[in-house]
Amino acid sequence: MSFRYKSALLSLTSMALIYGWFFVKLLTQRHVGVLVDPVVQLGGTVLAVAVVQIIGHIIIAGTSSDKYDAMDERERGFDRRATSVGYYLLIMGALAAISTLHMGASGPYMGYAVVLAIVVAECARQGVFLILHHRAA
Amino acid sequence: MFPIANNVRLEREARGLTQSELGAAIGLTRQTVAAIEQRRYSPSLEAAFRIARLFGLSVDDLFRWEE
Repeated sequence: MSFRYKSALLSLTSMALIYGWFFVKLLTQRHVGVLVDPVVQLGGTVLAVAVVQIIGHIIIAGTSSDKYDAMDERERGFDRRATSVGYYLLIMGALAAISTLHMGASGPYMGYAVVLAIVVAECARQGVFLILHHRAA
Repeated sequence: MFPIANNVRLEREARGLTQSELGAAIGLTRQTVAAIEQRRYSPSLEAAFRIARLFGLSVDDLFRWEE
């Protein structure tokens, strides 16, 4: 596995798990009717993802046997296709987030919908990159 | 399988280089070098010239069209 493959796997896993936990908790709290300062929770989530990814990338870089760690021409091709898929998902997500306003969502919840769109688009980008990498292996 | 066949593996092994060392010398990952050798990926013209130059050969010596 190349550095970029491991990096994409780490990004996808950490974002899906940590942001997934955040959104599940947000929905649960909303259902119960108690909101425990969601801005602090979102800040904590962003911080947790950053810390996990920084530490994970240091470990991956330290254990990688590959002498060339940058993205090469083949991986740039995968990345271009993955970014294109992520971009369309982000546009769709942004439009969906705006539409929540017409369904009676308050400002903060529309903001969370935008965050969700960004997370889904990024997860899709990393996922497509992994699939293309895996199929070409 | 891509239609461009090559002698990269033969020339690399003749020079005692590993896939990782060849990749590092021309700016490719080990996985991409392996993919080129197994005809699962056709390198860009620039990469083909880099490999040929490293081996002291012409691109024609290294790559050929084979359907």
